[in-house]
Amino acid sequence: MSASNGSISSPYSVALFSGLWRENPTFRLLIGLCPPLAVTTAVKPALTMGLSVIFVLVCSNLVVSLMRNLLRPHLRIIMFTVTIATFVTICDLFLKAYQPQMSEILGAYVPLIIVNCLIIFRAEACASKSGPLISILDGIGMGAGFTIALCILAGVREILATGHVFDIPVMPKAFVPWLALQMPVGAFITLGLILGLINVLTRKKES
Amino acid sequence: MSKLKYFVQQSWLLLVSSFFFGLLIAVTNAALSGRIEQNRIAKLNALTKALLPDAERFQPLDTNIEVQLPDGSKEKATIFEAFSSDGQRVGWSFNAHGTGFAGPIELVVAVDKDFQKLMGFNVLASSETPGFGDQIKSDYYRRQFINAPADKLMLVKTGSAAAIDSQIVAITGATVSSQAVVNIVNTFLTQIKNQMQEKGLIGNVGQ
Amino acid sequence: MDRFTALLMGFLSVVLVNNFVFTKFLGTCPYLGVSGRLDRALGMGLAVTFVTALSGTLTWMVDAYVLTPLHLEITRYIAYIVIIAGAVQLVEMYVRKFFPTLYDAFGIYLPLISTNCVILGICLFLDVWGTNNLLEAVVVSTGTGIGFTVAICIMAGIREELILADVPKALQGAPITLITAGLLTLAFMGFAGMIK
Repeated sequence: MSASNGSISSPYSVALFSGLWRENPTFRLLIGLCPPLAVTTAVKPALTMGLSVIFVLVCSNLVVSLMRNLLRPHLRIIMFTVTIATFVTICDLFLKAYQPQMSEILGAYVPLIIVNCLIIFRAEACASKSGPLISILDGIGMGAGFTIALCILAGVREILATGHVFDIPVMPKAFVPWLALQMPVGAFITLGLILGLINVLTRKKES
Repeated sequence: MSKLKYFVQQSWLLLVSSFFFGLLIAVTNAALSGRIEQNRIAKLNALTKALLPDAERFQPLDTNIEVQLPDGSKEKATIFEAFSSDGQRVGWSFNAHGTGFAGPIELVVAVDKDFQKLMGFNVLASSETPGFGDQIKSDYYRRQFINAPADKLMLVKTGSAAAIDSQIVAITGATVSSQAVVNIVNTFLTQIKNQMQEKGLIGNVGQ
Repeated sequence: MDRFTALLMGFLSVVLVNNFVFTKFLGTCPYLGVSGRLDRALGMGLAVTFVTALSGTLTWMVDAYVLTPLHLEITRYIAYIVIIAGAVQLVEMYVRKFFPTLYDAFGIYLPLISTNCVILGICLFLDVWGTNNLLEAVVVSTGTGIGFTVAICIMAGIREELILADVPKALQGAPITLITAGLLTLAFMGFAGMIK
């Protein structure tokens, strides 16, 4: 999946940076969309989820890459899933131990990282075909892109719905909060509008 | 025999890696479970202390007090005696739970030292609808329980929320969640109080 | 009769009130990628319903009769995901053998389903909700699958109409689908409070 558009960038920097914008998993590839809708009611849970995904993605990419020559074709998917499930379990334990409030807010969405299309997609498309270093960089890049997307979405929703970010008031006092953004409606609509906005920006760039 | 050999040949990687993953998880769990349990206790203490500010120490009650749940099952009640820094009993607290609108609701309920007045409740866990049932955590709803008589409470749809009596005004648009909390408090409070009076742990005062 | 009412309420709850797609955001990932045709949506929904009913029941049983008594709760996620993968395989083999025409209709979606958030979601939520009997687990799992089917069929139907509508270029495709989903969520919120 390493795209080359004629530029002389090394495969390492491609792996690291493509996930940030050009192949941003949430905004461009449109995969792994359950967390962006579910945990972006505030920036702090979004950030926690993003960092958790980076952890799981990097670990699972690394392990899958190390195993890549030993994988049997029809057991591939289950190997990926078991690997991912292991690291998600470990991540869940760390969250419960060191960030109990976040663990509670994220709730069942932490184990749902296991079926996040993003992680399995990267394992299939990149880690099972590349060396360990590229896989790690890809994990960091994609994970970072995902985290940035989550934080943008959460930032919009939190600021407009409560006027605060991280308990710091941001909007002027006269602002009436748009509570609907904190509910499922708001999640879908905000993401839809942001994707629309990105379409507009991309088309302007291309023309 | 060749079928077994084929099976092992195909899936050895899965079996071996499962073993290592299992080991990894077990080690992480062993390392973190102490801290996770501490977090749970710290949270319970913090929430209970918010209801009984003078309490310094919580002593679990050894006596076996059984509560019968609405579905017929029985369980041992978790009751704590709260002591101030100079060893005086300042109140009691107990854990209560039941079914809410979107899932189970877990509460910690505090009463004064003679089980005559409620000192309020805090939500330990719930998954009620944000903006609606979630409002059971709001000050508006919870304030009605503070200093209410420690007897059967009744949910009403309209009334004066400021009046402190055994009538609790429901949250607009969240009748089910509001009723659930009242039911949970009633179920546990009345049964625990009766049994504790029978066992002579608290006085049998009328008013 | 009370037990039956409780089960019926539980079923209606996951289909209408606490629909997994509209209130828990699960199951939107594969849907956005797949084209919005109604018959494909129905096929995928039915396949998902089979798998959720089977997985929900199996994972609940394993959790209740094996993991909890042996204090192996920490392996819960791995156990669930393995059971789900197995259930998908089982359903695929069964459908291919006994309903070949059906297999042609929605067979392609079956491998895709093992990463469907709804399935792991219901297994996890059965645990979070404290479901404590087998019949309830079966009913709620099946209900979740049906709720998912209802949700994506409605969305597919709307998407078919949207192709003819005059959608602004920037919003075509995923954005308008998401906005539609948001409006549907709002509509489904009207069911809140239906269950007394």
